[in-house]
Parts: sequence; structure tokens; C-alpha cells
Amino acid sequence: MATHQKLNKRGGGSYHLPFLLTKKWVIQLKFSLNEKQLGYLMVAPALILVILVTLWPVAQSFYNSLFDYRLNDPSRSERFLQSNMDLERYANDYFYLSRDLGDLAGQSPDDAAAVNEIREGIETYHEELLAMDGVGEQYEEVETLIASFTAISDRDLKYAKVENEWAGDYKEFLATAQEDLLALAEGSSDEAVTTTASNVAGSIESTNKAIIESNFIGLNNYSRYLQDGRMWQSLSNTFVFTIVSVGVELILGLAIALLINRTFSGRGIVRASVLIPWAIPTAVAAMMWGFLYDGQTGIVAHYFEQFGLIKDASVLLSTSAGGMFSVIFADVWKTTPYMALLLLAGLQTIPGSLYEAAEVDGASKWQQFWKVTLPLLKSAILVALLFRTLDAFRVFDLIYVLTGGGPANSTESISIYAYITLFSQQNFGAGSVLSVIVFLCVALLSTLFIKFIGSDLFAGRSNR
Amino acid sequence: MNKRAGFGFYIFLVVFVFFVMFPFIWVFLTSIKPPGEIFNNFNWFTADPSLASYENALTNRPLVRYMTNSFVVSTLTTIIAIACASVAAYALTRLPIKFKGLILGTILAASMFPQIAIISPIYNFITSVGLRNSYMGLVIPYITISLPLAIWILSTFFQKIPWELEESAKLDGATPFQTFRKIIFPLAAPGVFTTAILVFIAAWNEYLFALTINTEDTWRTVPVGISFYQSQFTIPWGDISAATVLVTIPIVILVLIFQRRIVAGLTSGSVKE
Repeated sequence: MATHQKLNKRGGGSYHLPFLLTKKWVIQLKFSLNEKQLGYLMVAPALILVILVTLWPVAQSFYNSLFDYRLNDPSRSERFLQSNMDLERYANDYFYLSRDLGDLAGQSPDDAAAVNEIREGIETYHEELLAMDGVGEQYEEVETLIASFTAISDRDLKYAKVENEWAGDYKEFLATAQEDLLALAEGSSDEAVTTTASNVAGSIESTNKAIIESNFIGLNNYSRYLQDGRMWQSLSNTFVFTIVSVGVELILGLAIALLINRTFSGRGIVRASVLIPWAIPTAVAAMMWGFLYDGQTGIVAHYFEQFGLIKDASVLLSTSAGGMFSVIFADVWKTTPYMALLLLAGLQTIPGSLYEAAEVDGASKWQQFWKVTLPLLKSAILVALLFRTLDAFRVFDLIYVLTGGGPANSTESISIYAYITLFSQQNFGAGSVLSVIVFLCVALLSTLFIKFIGSDLFAGRSNR
Repeated sequence: MNKRAGFGFYIFLVVFVFFVMFPFIWVFLTSIKPPGEIFNNFNWFTADPSLASYENALTNRPLVRYMTNSFVVSTLTTIIAIACASVAAYALTRLPIKFKGLILGTILAASMFPQIAIISPIYNFITSVGLRNSYMGLVIPYITISLPLAIWILSTFFQKIPWELEESAKLDGATPFQTFRKIIFPLAAPGVFTTAILVFIAAWNEYLFALTINTEDTWRTVPVGISFYQSQFTIPWGDISAATVLVTIPIVILVLIFQRRIVAGLTSGSVKE
């Protein structure tokens, strides 16, 4: 019953409108100030939560996608718009550097001039660093902590912002110095010199790593992924999956809804059996289907082979076409019933008198379907399609559990590719690019749908 | 429409229900076979049913723990979502606030956001506040799914409540909050309950966040736990089918008891899941 009222309203919202407007106006006159404030107060917690847990993270994903940001690489595990000096590491290395360079100059008088040059260079850069705004005090604080063997967890203390150009120059200088020292170590016959020189070279390399250049790379990640074959492959897999499964679900669902739109005994059993596939977790359904499709023990694979639908029972999960079919078939099984329910609710709002009138006018069943049922069902179909399409487009768990994206990435959806990049490769910058691509596709699809559906979707809710 | 159902129609129904239920039937029949009989054997019924697979399913992996985790997380999520959503939906449907369309649009848009687009910042956040492998670590991201869903369905339910009652309560001097508590909420309770069921199911079924955030075995939820039954070398189908049966039973009970409400909730909001 409830559904009838709702759908009627959606269809004929304008009928109620004048009445509603008057009511609203009356209430506003009487309670305006009080109620308005209360209303905002009541909406606020939900709205703030939604903004915090969805809109803000999406913005963050956009931001992350502009960086070469990898969790498993210490020099890129933060997002730096500007070059930074890891003072903890730098201070540690600097202590050994100045000592060992002095030793080296003493041990190898022949190369003393070159070594001293390196030493002077490093000292100049060191002075420049300490002269930077606020870095001097910061460095002192870090040194005190290091002296007491305390690890520094405070990001703001650990990293000092430095100019990009200065950082680039210093890195270049250190790289050259490292090469020179390694050459010196190799060329020298004195073992002590070789050891010290390679030690110093190691410290210099470490210092070099303490200078973290900005990992802001702008849209580079995007241009990389727009030329990435695997991205296009997964995107097209996603589109194939979405179009085929939603299309089949719509046609089957409509057929089932038309068939069971009548009075019969045992509705409860049918409704329950239809709801259970929808209600169980997708991952559990995927495991079940994995068992049914299995090349050795799977009954579905076995029967398909018996009926000659497939050559061999292993085809379903070991070939690309079989894999895609399996995934779509499982999805159709899980969501067609749900689609049928939505469409049935829509069908039940069509008054029987329309069909009687059509019958009197001599319309065949087929004509009745095209001229009465479909036009009146249009908005229910579009709403069902909207939710199903968006759901199918972000498919993750079904494919991830059933085929893992395989065989040979042939069923990999864009969400799975993004997940693998984000969490298996720990590459948050590149993974965010893929998530942003999913987001943009979903946004585009929903805009298209909402254009078609128009304001129907909100009609029941916001017109009051 | 009042078409009468004939004999052919019932045959169609039986076939339809059989096809829909077939995977469950087969998985159940497998779960009571002795583990040795499962491989290379397509007999429907076993001669000597055994509960060995159930025992294995419960001992090889902490299935009970998974179910407890899922239950706690889904319950907490439902309570938070319903608490925030019911007041918000009331204000959106009843009180004269501005930007209703914009607010509802934002909420609907939020429910359409692909989870993969928000997972990395959420993961960073949960890690930074030390909530990995905890219940709250899942409840927070689940708000993204449950809150928009709840607001969307509740606002349709709230709209069906007759205005006259509310008005007479106001004329009798009730404050808006009293009106909400004493008039609207009891009338809306069935709708709230339906919404709670749908939110609970959505949270129970969530996979991506649970997979990423709670990586320790003792903190896994049912969907993730089940998907980890397959080891690298063997796939213990007996254990898996027994575990599937065990985790499906609560859902079947839920669906059998509340099927009318669930259908009403699904179709009234024309809402996903």
C-alpha cells in the first residue's frame, strides 16, 4: 500500500502541490523563526558527517592524485608541495660527515685538496640551511633530541621546508661528491683510505636522501594512466560488465515482474526466495558461485559441459570469455530479483482501468504493453536503472572474490585495478588517479541519468 | 490487475524459485556430505550425511568471531545512522528550512560515490587515529554508506505521516521537538524499523572497507572472513559450503520475518540495496 502512495505521488506530484504550498506558507507564518533554526540544527549532524566522511575524502583523493605518493617509500610517503629537509636524518649524517671528511683529508694528503673542497661545500650548504627562517632553532632542538636518543615523531619538527632550487643544487653537489669519493676509494691502494672514503660516500648518499624534493607532479599521473593499456582494459571490462549485466537484469526483471503481477497463493515464498539472494553478502555469493563454477567440483560447470554449452568444465574460470560470463551470470542471479521487485512495485501503480479501456478499444496484449505499461513504467525503470548502473559500475567484491580480476586481468574492473594499485603496490598517488577516474565516470553517468529522470527523483521529497 | 493464476503459472513459479534457490540448495547438500565425497562426484544426495564440514568450518577459522564482529559493527552503524538520519529526515520533510533540494541532492550524491574513491583518505585517517583493527575503525567509514541510505528512505516514510496530527499537536502547544518525539516518532516507528533493517543488511554485507581496514584475522567481518577460507594450495569446498550455510541462516531468518517491511523499504525509496 505504502508503495502505491509513494509512486502515485511521484507520478502526479503537481496535483498535490497547491495544497502543500498553502500549508507550508501557513506554518512559516506561525513558527518561522523557531522551526527554521531547529530544522538547521537537526540537519547539521547528518550533513556534517556526510561531508566529513565522503566529500572531504573525495577531495583528498583528488589532491593525492597530484603527487608521487607511495606508502612503501620513505622519501615519498608524505605529500610535499615544497622540498623538505629531514632534519633528524640530516643531523645524524652531518655529525659523521664533518668528522670523517677531516679524517680522510689527513689520511690521504694527495687528495686533501679535493676532499677539503667537498667539506667546504657541505659546510657552506649547512650554514645556508641554518640561516633559513627558523631552521636554526629547529635544528638545535632536533640535535638535542638525537643526543638523548629520542625518535622524533612530530612531523613539524622533523621536516624543515627548504627552497626547491637550493635543494636541487645541494642534491646535485652531493651526488657529484659521492662519485668523486667512490673514485678516490677505488683508486687508492691504502686500505684505510678506501674504507674511510667509502664510509664518507655512504654518509653523503644518506644526506642526499634526507633532502626530500617535492613529490608534487601535477597531472603527470593522469597522463601516465591515460596511456596505460591496463587502465583502458579494466575500464572497458567495467563497461562491458555494467551494460550486459544491467541490460539482462532489466529485461529478465521486467519479464518476471509482468508474470508475477497477479494474485496467486504463495506470494510469501516467492518474495522470500527473491529477497535472499539480494540480502546475502556479495562476497558470500561470490564464494558460492566460485564453487559452482569450479572446473573439478562445480556442478554448474559440470552441467554446462553435459549440455554442450561449453567444451570443457574448466572453461568458465580459466578463459577470458568464460570468466566474464561467470561474473555477469552471478551478478544477474543476485540482482535480477531485486530489479523485478522494484519494477513490480511500479507495475502495481498502473490502474487496471487503463487496460480495460485498451481492451475495449481492441488493443492486443502486445500493444497494451508498448502503449500503456512501458510509458507508465518509465520513471520506475529509470530510477531502477540509475541505482543498478551506478552499483554495477563500481563492482568490486563480486569480481575480487570470484575471479580476482583474472584470468590475465580479463575480468579486472577499474575498482579492482585501483584497489591493487592502492593497497598491494602501496602507491597512493597513482591509485588515487584511478579512484578519481572511477569517481568521474560515476559522476558523469549519474548526471546523464538525472537529466533523463529529471526532477522526478526529488519530487516526493523536496517539494514540501 | 486481477489476473487469475492458472496451473501453468504455478509450474513457472516452481521452476523460477528452484533456479533462484539452486545455489543454496546445492551448497547445503554439499555441506552435509562427508568431506571425501565432495570431489569429482556430482551426486545430489549423500548416503551418509555428516557434520564434519561444519566442525571444520568452525575450528579451522574463527567463524563465530567473524559473526560477532559483523554483528557488533552492523549494530553500532545502524544505531548511529538511524539516530542522525531520523532527525535530519524529519527536518528535511517537515520543517521550513531552505536548500532542501541542495541538501538532499548532496546526500543522494554521497550515496552514489564509489567507495574506492574515498578509501585511501579514510584509510590514512583511520591509521593516523590508531583505529585499524577495531570496531570503530569500520563504523566510521560505514557511515558513508548507511547515513545517506537511511536519510533517503526515512524521508519517504516520514512524508506519508498525515500532517493533521502534527498540526493539532502544535495548536495544543507542543514544541517541535515534543511533536517529533510524541507524535511523529511513534507513527514513524515502522518506517524507522524498516530503515534499520536495510541499513543493518548493507553494513553486514560491506566488503571493501572491511578488507582494507581490519586486516587482522580476529577483527575480520563475515564477508571478508569467508573469502579467506581458500588457502593458497587447496580450496576446502566442504568448509566453505558449511560456513556459507552458517552465515546465511541469520539472513534467511531476517528475511523470512521481515520480508514485507524489506520490500516496502526497498521500493518506497526506490533505493539501492
